[in-house]
Amino acid sequence: MYGGGNTFEGIKTDSIAQEDPVLLAAFEARIARGEKIEPTDWMPQLYRKQLIRMIEQHAHSEIIGALPEGTWITRAPGFKRKMSLMAKVQDEVGHAQLLYSAAETLGKPREKMIDDLISGKSKYSNIFNYPTFTWADCCFISWLVDAGAIVNQLANAKGSYGPYCRALDRICAEESFHLKYGHHCVIYLASGTQKQRDMFQEALNRWWPPMMHFFGPSDKISAHTEILMRWKVKMGTNDDMRNQFLDMYVPKIWELGFTIPDPLLKKNLKTGKWDYTEPDWAEFKRVINGDGPCNKERLEVRRIAEERGRWVREALKTPSAQYVMPLA
Amino acid sequence: MQLQLFSILKSLDPRITRLPQVGEVKPKQPLDQLGTFEVFVQAKEGKPFQHEGCVHAPTLEMAYVLAKETFTRRFTCTSIYVVDTRDVFVSPTTEGNQSAYELISSNFQTGSKETYEIYQLAKRGKQHVNVGSVEAGSPKEAMWLAKDLFGAGKMVYNIWAIKKNKIRYTTTEEKDLWNTLPEKKFRDASDYKGGDKLKEFLERQKI
Amino acid sequence: MHTEALKELLYKIADDLLIIGHRNSEWTGLGPLLEEDIAFSSMAQDKIGQSYVVFQMLNNLGEQAPDTVAFTRNANQFHNCQLVELPNQEYDFSLIRHFLFDTADALRWEMLSHSTYEPLAQLAKKIKGELRYHTMHANTWVKQLGSATEESISRLQNSLNVAMPYALGIFEESPFEDEIISAGIFAGEQELKNRWLKKVEEVINQTQLNLPDLKIITPLVGGRVGKHTEHLQPLLDEMSEVFRIDPTAEW
Repeated sequence: MYGGGNTFEGIKTDSIAQEDPVLLAAFEARIARGEKIEPTDWMPQLYRKQLIRMIEQHAHSEIIGALPEGTWITRAPGFKRKMSLMAKVQDEVGHAQLLYSAAETLGKPREKMIDDLISGKSKYSNIFNYPTFTWADCCFISWLVDAGAIVNQLANAKGSYGPYCRALDRICAEESFHLKYGHHCVIYLASGTQKQRDMFQEALNRWWPPMMHFFGPSDKISAHTEILMRWKVKMGTNDDMRNQFLDMYVPKIWELGFTIPDPLLKKNLKTGKWDYTEPDWAEFKRVINGDGPCNKERLEVRRIAEERGRWVREALKTPSAQYVMPLA
Repeated sequence: MQLQLFSILKSLDPRITRLPQVGEVKPKQPLDQLGTFEVFVQAKEGKPFQHEGCVHAPTLEMAYVLAKETFTRRFTCTSIYVVDTRDVFVSPTTEGNQSAYELISSNFQTGSKETYEIYQLAKRGKQHVNVGSVEAGSPKEAMWLAKDLFGAGKMVYNIWAIKKNKIRYTTTEEKDLWNTLPEKKFRDASDYKGGDKLKEFLERQKI
Repeated sequence: MHTEALKELLYKIADDLLIIGHRNSEWTGLGPLLEEDIAFSSMAQDKIGQSYVVFQMLNNLGEQAPDTVAFTRNANQFHNCQLVELPNQEYDFSLIRHFLFDTADALRWEMLSHSTYEPLAQLAKKIKGELRYHTMHANTWVKQLGSATEESISRLQNSLNVAMPYALGIFEESPFEDEIISAGIFAGEQELKNRWLKKVEEVINQTQLNLPDLKIITPLVGGRVGKHTEHLQPLLDEMSEVFRIDPTAEW
């Protein structure tokens, strides 16, 4: 699962001037025709760089995203929930595996990406820096964070890079299980005891602000983002994604009788878009830069996992096996 | 048994509070990365194998073991196989109206005959799909032969040729690997029907 | 119709599977390699799924529903062997335990596929594929790491030495042993142990590991009669934390 919230600000487009104009024109024409780019194709440096960044962040979000829900993996109530949650968290790890492979086809080895995650050089979705205090927080993620991720991933699956699209097709198919499972959990909380209802309402109160952050701040449309949209790297604006999410899920939350903690939230009949209290972007920036409630823990856990697994990977190394870029 | 359990992180996750202490990050040798292996899956008996992705592994056998759960834990499947990425010979990729077979020249070396599995990419962005095998003396010859056998009348944007003897197949007796409990439905969306519960809840609200 | 004897057998099978599945699930997201993380989680899910089916069998024999039985008993009511309740520790221990337990588990089900108790025989056939994968996975990994680096070999050797007395506890005999065997329900722990030893030796002999001398090891038993290490009760408290908020609620 992964939020958009890609900020492509500050990218440098200077490199485009140095690209071979004939190759560049052919590349752009291919994308315009709706054909996908495959790993062995010529591509502008900027395209490669931005895609690596985006797919890598997506992969990191999956592997880190396994942690907040993993918090409840040993405590899921009952056989059915126990198996489902195990399968769900496992899928997040599986998605990371697929996405790292897709990014590897662009030339960056998985190990380098994981190093950059642990060192803090690469980012991941901000929402996973928040804690899951109760089982209901875990249900919130399974249902609504995954729902948000699906909005984003379905859009990205129409992007231009073949290996990323292939990975996303698989991922979206699995996400339909996550979404159904998450909704199922929340329906049971909603229709259960007062205590269960309260649990979810409290989780909703805690998670709504990060959920609104999930899609990122409004895009500043600039020459840079225009190029990335033309190249089908960026597939929609953050506001569009957020609006689409609200359209699909606010009614479902209301249907269950829960209160969304934003008094201004309502569909504006004139614009057809949702009005809401402007999310606290200062908080978003603060958390993304490392000062959220769980940033330290998430990275430290990843580091410990890597360190503990190191002897295993070292022992697995054989002279006959050699790392090469995967094919597709 | 005496166990030294450290609590280094204060976490809501009981698993995390049990994690042992590890030292500072030591600068590590570049690349503890393993080999890469390509994974092919057959969804149904009689259907062609299709490329699904890759795994990192030290040996072909380990790749097989790891690929099984990485790629076939959910969707129905009858068989998989894996091969070292380096054992896949790849043609140039074409676009538009040009077939990749047009770029395969008849100027190839040949040697003693071996079987090659041939994969074709029919549409950019989709998977490479197996179309059959050929007996050839080199990968280039295999692609050249595949042109007549499998390339006629359709667009092919990329061709792979894989030596059969480099592949770790699923043996006949291993096919029961995918015979699992019907209870495994818990991985499918169809197993989560909340509709009745929801309806009953909504009815209750009306009263 | 041997109900008490049968229940005893089913409880130990179900409890073993539930507890090992629970322990192994703790690795999810924290494994040594992404692909292995996925494989290990799948096997944990298989174990929990299998235990669920055995608890359903017990339910059909008059015991309480699977959720109630699994999530509300105390440690002294559990019949699992102590091997499965030990904390995961490092990957070497988890792997060796997986190897020792799953070798026995696969053989147990192979024997049960001939059981006169039809539901067990049927289940044995249904999960054959899952068990094939579990032993294939364990054997491949033990062979690989058991002959790799100095560190991996010594880690696996230490874990093997620590786990062995507990592993022998898998075969703790039941008071109904004779009844179960003569009724053709299960060929018995002693027979299982003999087959297990042969398989374990076969794999260990393909590595640079040494099988500890079983003649001088005292098996750590007691699990089958509710005597457990200090690790089981905390595991159960954790597992049922949410369930116990309201055991009558639907989650």
